[in-house]
Order: sequence, then structure tokens, then C-alpha cells
Amino acid sequence: MRLGMPHCGNLYIPVRAIANRLGIDIVIPPPTSQRTLSLGVKYSPEMACLPFKLTLGNMIEALELGADTTMIPGGPGPCRFGYYNKVDEAILHKLGYKFYMATQELGLVRLIKLLTNGASLGKIVTASRFGLAKLKALDELERMVPKIRAVEREKGNATRIYRQGIKAIDNAADYRALNQAKREHLQKLMNLPTVSSPDPLKIGITGEFFVVLDSFANMDIEIELGKLGVEVRRSIFIQDWVKFNPFIYVFGLREKDKSHKAARPYLSRHVGGDGWQSVGEKVLHNRDWDGLVHLEPFGCLPEITARNIMPSTKEKLPVLNIIYDEHTGKAGIINRLEAFVDMIYRRKRR
Amino acid sequence: MIKIGIPRALLYYQYYPMWKTFFEELGAEVVVSPPTTQAMLSEGSSRVVADTCLPVKVFCGHVLSLVDKCDYVFIPAIRSVKSKVYNCSKFLGLPDLTKAVIPESPPILDIDIDINKGKGKLYQAIYKLGRHFTWNPFRVRRAAIAARQAQLNYRELMSSQGLTPPQAIERISGTAEVEPKTHSNHTIPAQATIAVIGHPYLLYDEHINHRLIYRLERAHNRVLTPEMLTTEELESATVRLMGRAYWTYEEEVVGAGQHYLESGTDGVIGIVAFGCGPDSLMMDMVHRQAARLRATPFMNLTLEEHTAEGGLVTRLEAFLDMILYRRKRRLVCV
Repeated sequence: MRLGMPHCGNLYIPVRAIANRLGIDIVIPPPTSQRTLSLGVKYSPEMACLPFKLTLGNMIEALELGADTTMIPGGPGPCRFGYYNKVDEAILHKLGYKFYMATQELGLVRLIKLLTNGASLGKIVTASRFGLAKLKALDELERMVPKIRAVEREKGNATRIYRQGIKAIDNAADYRALNQAKREHLQKLMNLPTVSSPDPLKIGITGEFFVVLDSFANMDIEIELGKLGVEVRRSIFIQDWVKFNPFIYVFGLREKDKSHKAARPYLSRHVGGDGWQSVGEKVLHNRDWDGLVHLEPFGCLPEITARNIMPSTKEKLPVLNIIYDEHTGKAGIINRLEAFVDMIYRRKRR
Repeated sequence: MIKIGIPRALLYYQYYPMWKTFFEELGAEVVVSPPTTQAMLSEGSSRVVADTCLPVKVFCGHVLSLVDKCDYVFIPAIRSVKSKVYNCSKFLGLPDLTKAVIPESPPILDIDIDINKGKGKLYQAIYKLGRHFTWNPFRVRRAAIAARQAQLNYRELMSSQGLTPPQAIERISGTAEVEPKTHSNHTIPAQATIAVIGHPYLLYDEHINHRLIYRLERAHNRVLTPEMLTTEELESATVRLMGRAYWTYEEEVVGAGQHYLESGTDGVIGIVAFGCGPDSLMMDMVHRQAARLRATPFMNLTLEEHTAEGGLVTRLEAFLDMILYRRKRRLVCV
């Protein structure tokens, strides 16, 4: 079995770590590029959302590299995401690829057995632990880098170190190497010279998780904001899906639960995807953030609902909506970000 | 008497007899908004963000037309009506969305329907809704049972007699003329049988689809719609094409599409609203199936507020002509 998987931000790093430990032959498609997007757009239904088109492009590229099994999460829910696998399968079979699509419909146990080549439970647990450790290291780095980016004296250094850090974490073969890579790069980030009186604007990023997490999809919005001297805050991380802490769950201390609770007066139910959270973040962070950038792919169902509701909240946090599709140009986004940041500076000075 | 407003949009076509029975049993009066007009559509679209789907814009227009005409507007949040099958998120957010974009709307009566949470929660939700009218749980129960029966009768009426929802609603409320309102001339035999698939709020809103069904019938075609099939037929066709249903209203697109593509109709027309998330993938699957079977012509029509009547008519005429040529050629071949 050669397993191919689509990209979603840095998800490939922990997945590769787990697969290597279990001895699974995994095909990581080349980083998402313009070619990926073109392939995806060419073969997708025209009104499908951007994540669909990008993941389809990734899968085509993985199949070109010889993958014979692909996997994309699915399952019931009120967003299109769970339906992807059926449509992907139909499209890819039509294109003539011979492969097996592993979906959650098999049942979790059988799915895990299939994907891990029937490895023993102990082996799966140790491998997953290592994968999670990598994920944690990545998230730590991702939390750190926007703070430095906003205040560094020479723009671009933090991003460079971040990229090196990702590579080092990806290459780390065991816990020691991983810890060392993490510590070394965090330290490097901390040691970067900063501007003399740092008081950056704090702007949150929220929205649909795929475009928030995937730097190709969101056109490096964090880096662009960092260049404008803005500290980016976000509460959507890959870790949120897998982190399990009973204490945090039971008492509703998760970031997600808090924002859901805050959204309740305006949106009282889960609308699928991250719509509820988007409304909640605007309410929750009214005081501690200076603005909010709301990202969504064109036609995203939950986020449209959220975007309709957001202007009606009592909390008047400035919000910039950015909608991505295959025709979005980076220059347009940079322009809008500059205008937004200028507006917030002026508002703050007043 | 309390007046309950029901917007003639979205789920109206599926559930109106049920809602009407329920509220009337509880002693309320039901007010339905008038059929969609251009003014309603433009007012509705001016309230929501631009890329909201057409049906929701229409819905907002209907709610606006009910302002001052009723004491409450009934907007259910239907999450799922079958185990592990969910609805589009617009339906879930509908009460909150309406409250946010139409602050002047009358108080909203909402009910959360989620079968996955178990029967108990469903009964609680129904009782909570009934509490607005009576304290007596038995009266709510009686109303709910009557409402359920009304819904079953409505479905039965449509599938057994081949009626469309507006016709069936007219029949039930007794305002219908004796002859069902078909526009075709019965002396001329139907030229072709055309199946129209899509969600009822697109098929039967004559304003947004520019009287599509009327046009087809006037051209002497027999028109079939998803509601004319029984639930079992729809379900088994869905399973054949897609496996387990994923969306609540998947049957009326995928199930009906698969059924009509296989069952030898002369043509299938799929109707989609621009920006509809579920349909963007579902209708594509039907399209693919049509291409695979190569038996029945399939046309996909996308509706939005800028859809021009002329363009739609041209495409429709071309499609019908193509079907006629196809039939003639087939006759010659035989």
C-alpha cells in the first residue's frame, strides 16, 4: 500500500512521522502550488469550494507519484467537507486512476487497521505519540513566530527561521532531535533584534479552518500582516482536533467552547464548520484584539451564515472579510490588509 | 388570536400542511406570505451579504413582507430528520440569521429539530414550541399527532396523484378548482416527458425559476418532479448512486436524478441555486451519472437573481428541440 494524502498546512509533518514509525509507505504530494490549483480547478465542479479544489489537486499529484490508496476525512456534518470523499472518488476514477479511497465509513477500527497495515496497538500508540509531539512542537513554533514577526527589526528573518524550524522538526527522527530542533529555533526567534518600543497591533485571524491553516490557500496572510507590524493571533490550530484533555473538555475551557459560549446571544446553534466560532471570536476578543480578519473560501456555507450575523453584534470589533477562490490575487489582498491596518491605527490613535 | 407568519420560501413547500395543522390545532391563525415578487427578492437581497444563496435571499424577502402582519414568525432550525444525516448549515442558522439581518421582524418562533439527539429531545422541542400557545402538554401532543398525520397525507397525496406541492397545498386547503391546475391541453398527447429535479423551493417558486414548469407544460410536455416519487423509490435510488445519504434533502436531487435517469424519461433538468453548497457537489454527481449512462439528456440550470428570463427560455427551447430531434431520429432508426 502506498498511501497518498492531501495537504492542509503543516499536517503532513506529523502524518509522515507516524507513517515512518509504522513503516507505512506514504506519498506526500509536492507542496501545494499553482499547478495543484490548476489541476483541482480543471476537474472539480465549478461551484465547489477552494479547499475541495486544492485537496483534489493534491490527490491527483499524489496519485501521479504512485499512491494507490488515498485518504480524506469524511463523515456526517452540515458542511460540504464530509461529502468530499464521494465526489473525489468519482472524479479520480473518471480520470482513470486506480486506487482505493479509505473513508470513515469503514468504521474507525477497520480504518486504522487498514491504514496502519495491521500494526500492533502498542506500536500505533507510540507512533501516534511521536506524531503528536511533532504537532505540538509545530504549533508552539507557529504561536511564537507571529509575535516576533511583528516587532523584528529586519523584516523576513522570523519567517526564514520559522521555515528552517519546520524543516528541522520534519527531519527530526526521535524525541531528542525534535526537542533540540524546537528549542534551537524558538531560541533563535527570541534572539532576533526587535524595534525599540514595540507596541504592535493585535489582529486576530479566524474563519474556515482550511484557509486559516493552509498558507498557500490564504496567500501567506500571516506573513503579510507581520510585515505591516501586526501581531497575529489565532485560535485555530491543527492540534485542536487531536488534543484531548478530559479536564479541559468537561469544564468547557477549550478555546472553541469559550467562543461558542460568547456567540450564544447572536448565534445559538452549531452551524457546521467554524461558523459558530467565527462569530464567537468577534464577541470574545472585543477588548483584547484590535481587529479581526475573517477568512473563508468562496461559497462556504457556515461562514456565510456567520458573516451575515457578525455585523449585528453589540461588540464593534473591526472585521475584514477576505474571501478566497481560485481567482483571488495576492496584490488585492495586500492592499486591503494595508487599508484595514491603517484604519485600525487611526481608530486607536483617536 | 395569535397570528403566526410562515414565509412562503425554503421549507414551506415540504412542510406547510404540517405546520398549519399544528398551529391551528393549538388555536393560532396562520398567515402565509404572498408569492415571491421582484420587490421582495430585491429587498431580501439587500439585507444579506452578496454571496448568500438565492433561496435565503428570497426567504428574507418573505420575512420582510410578514413584518406587521403577524405576531410571530415561525422559522424552524432543522438540523437533521434522519439519523446521522445533516442539513445545510444555512437552515441551522436561519433563525439567528433572520434575527441579525431583519431586526424589525416579529419575534421568531424557532424549534430545533435534531433526530440524532433522540426522541426525547424532539418531544421536548415540540412541547417548547407548543408552550407559546398552551400549558397543556396533552393538547400539544394532540396537535403534534394531527400535524404528523397531515404531513403523511400530504406526501401520500403528492406521490399517488402526481401533484406538485403547490397543487397539493391548494387541494388540501380547499381553494383548488376541481381540475388540477395543469396548463397543458389534454387533447394533444404529451410530446415528451421531462423530469425536473432540485429542491422544492427552487422548482415551485415561479418568480425565481421564471415559470419553468409552466413553460414546459405549455410546450406539451409531461413534467415529473421529485415529489411524485415515493420516499422508498427516492431512498433506494440515492443508495444506488451515492450510498448512504449525506444531506437531509439529498433524495430530491440525487435520488430523483438517479431514478429519472434510469427510468426512461426523455430528459432531465437539474435546477441549482448559485452558491448552493450541497447542490454544487450533488448536482455534479447526477451530471456525472448522466454522462456515464448516456441514455437521458441532462441539463443543469443555475438560478440567481440576475438570471435573465430570455437566456433561460433559450436554453429550455434548445433542450426541448434537441429531445425532439433525438426522438425523431430514434423513430427513423427503428
